[in-house]
Amino acid sequence: MLIYIFRRLLVMIPVMILISVIGFIIIQAPPGDFVSSYIAGLEAQGDIIEPELIDSLRARYGLGEPVYVQYWKWVSNFVEGDLGYSMVYREPVVDIIAQRLPSSFTISLFSLVLVFAIGIPIGVFSATKQYSLADYTFTLVGFLGVATPNFLLALVGLWLLFVWTGNASIGLYSPEMQNAPFGPAKFLDLLSHIWLPALIVGTAGTAELIRTMRANLLDELPKQYVTVARARGVKPTKLLYKYPLRIAINPVISTVGWLLPVLVEGEVLVSLVLGLPTIAPVLLRSLLQQDMFLATSIIMILGILTLVGTLLSDILLAIVDPRIRGSV
Amino acid sequence: MTIESPRETGAAVASLPSDDLLLSVRNLRTHFFSREGVVKAVDGVTFDVKPGEILGIAGESGCGKSVTSQSILRILPKNGKIVDGQILFRYGDQTVDLAAEDPDGRVMRDIRGQEIAMIFQEPMTAFSPVHTIGNQIIETIRIHQQVTKEEAHDQAVEMLRRVGMPNPARNIDEFTFNLSGGMRQRAMVALSLACQPKLLIADEPTTAVDVTIQAQMLELLRDIQADLGMAIIMITHDLGVIAELTDRVMIMYLGKEVEAGTVENVFHRPQHPYTRGLLSSIPKMEPGRVEIEPIEGSVPSPYAMPSGCKFHTRCTEFMAGVCEKRDPPLIEVAGGHEVSCFLYGGREDLE
Repeated sequence: MLIYIFRRLLVMIPVMILISVIGFIIIQAPPGDFVSSYIAGLEAQGDIIEPELIDSLRARYGLGEPVYVQYWKWVSNFVEGDLGYSMVYREPVVDIIAQRLPSSFTISLFSLVLVFAIGIPIGVFSATKQYSLADYTFTLVGFLGVATPNFLLALVGLWLLFVWTGNASIGLYSPEMQNAPFGPAKFLDLLSHIWLPALIVGTAGTAELIRTMRANLLDELPKQYVTVARARGVKPTKLLYKYPLRIAINPVISTVGWLLPVLVEGEVLVSLVLGLPTIAPVLLRSLLQQDMFLATSIIMILGILTLVGTLLSDILLAIVDPRIRGSV
Repeated sequence: MTIESPRETGAAVASLPSDDLLLSVRNLRTHFFSREGVVKAVDGVTFDVKPGEILGIAGESGCGKSVTSQSILRILPKNGKIVDGQILFRYGDQTVDLAAEDPDGRVMRDIRGQEIAMIFQEPMTAFSPVHTIGNQIIETIRIHQQVTKEEAHDQAVEMLRRVGMPNPARNIDEFTFNLSGGMRQRAMVALSLACQPKLLIADEPTTAVDVTIQAQMLELLRDIQADLGMAIIMITHDLGVIAELTDRVMIMYLGKEVEAGTVENVFHRPQHPYTRGLLSSIPKMEPGRVEIEPIEGSVPSPYAMPSGCKFHTRCTEFMAGVCEKRDPPLIEVAGGHEVSCFLYGGREDLE
């Protein structure tokens, strides 16, 4: 098992290099670079640009040099922890990410918990009560959940919140809690704010999970080992959770990994609408304004998240399923 | 109008007709309800099993033999219901009517695995793929007996040894995907027999495996039966298996019993045209080429059952005006040998 994890970690290295190359090339593809668009923007506003700053930036990141030289400079800085400088925010990229990634993570994590806490029980219920009124209702709700765009839900949620509480700003914390040290009180405050964005971000995922869970369980329930267990005198409840559920849940575990970056992506519009301080709106803005260090760094981090997530799911899967454990 | 079998008349409710019986299935009717209609999978079947006896139930696919066994254990699919009849079983010193019990109630759960156990067709899928075989055998033992984990473990190892697993102490912690086909079969038998049941129902245990394992399986069942002394109901479409293993046999066609008796009687003196057809459709190992004689026609759709004798549409001895009119009665042609056919009587008022 340790060897397996080690081997997987080793394989991640070339994949990450590939991601960085592709990410870098895509960001570089549009004509011009961020310095020129930055200068153009400043000049349009009539600002005075310090030529020293521009020259030092150009030299530092090798702008104007061939792409592979630029890539190499960027990558060697990246590995050393220097993610570059954001021209849009006029801050080092590391600082921006450090400020915003935690809130993104928090929302994603809460979403994930909500997706599982709602999706799995409803999926199981739908499967055991197949073709009942409740099953049809959840199916309908599920399809609506998949089909409704996030931002629309966010707008509706925001409106409802405003109608009910007169408060239109959500944020992650109450103003008075913003700078308080983290403790039980701050956590409760977080809970009272985060459920709405977490729910909105997780809606599509929950709806999908209900469908997946239901289908997987319906596949397992008529299998012979369930009948055999029943014929041995196993109790009906145990017949559900010990055997079929255990197997039906495997595909769910294997998707945990790539659910993480999907949730971060899902945040983009929701965070914009709700005005949340997450990484997603920053990614959007950096892409629009060719803020290449910021954009590439975020893309790299999302890529690493996906890889780590996939590895985590595979390890989890190997733990719960002996068939996989045997072959690693 | 229905004609009841002679055995059934005058019997008291919920008591076995005779003291030396373990199981008595009486006029069992199990129907399946679906959008397309009602399928009368088992439509009035009556038979007895004595302790320690091996009974064979044979017939083509769809004749209701598996549904009969699922009815006894009450593990029918959701849309299957026992609509009539009794399944009387000796449970301790009392008799229970399994047909009247709640399928997931206490009594049924206690009986399953402990008193009546079942072996199924495919050994690969009898065990959960993500649990060790030991986990499931020990679970069965601990459902039914007040023993510690260690005691149950020892019992499980002992049972694996009895069914001839090569290395029981190690095999107990293995998963089915690590075992060969033959070992899976043995593990499955050990799982069913974990609590040493009084009745073992074997539902086509030799169908999905190759011939070598088939032979091993029959030998194993015979040995285990001699060893533990339980009764066996052997359900199969393979008449060779019946001939080799069982004492008595019941032949079924479309949910009805057509003929029953000792293997000797039924195989050497078949009375029902269907039984005769079945026996002559078996290839024989004789010098010279002997043509196989298949039964004409095919099994009718379960939604469009023939009237009267269910076999009359394919019968070579069909009597117009008799066979399609009503169900033929069960007639005893010799001691314990009964046939459901108008050829042997019961048509007097029709002619």
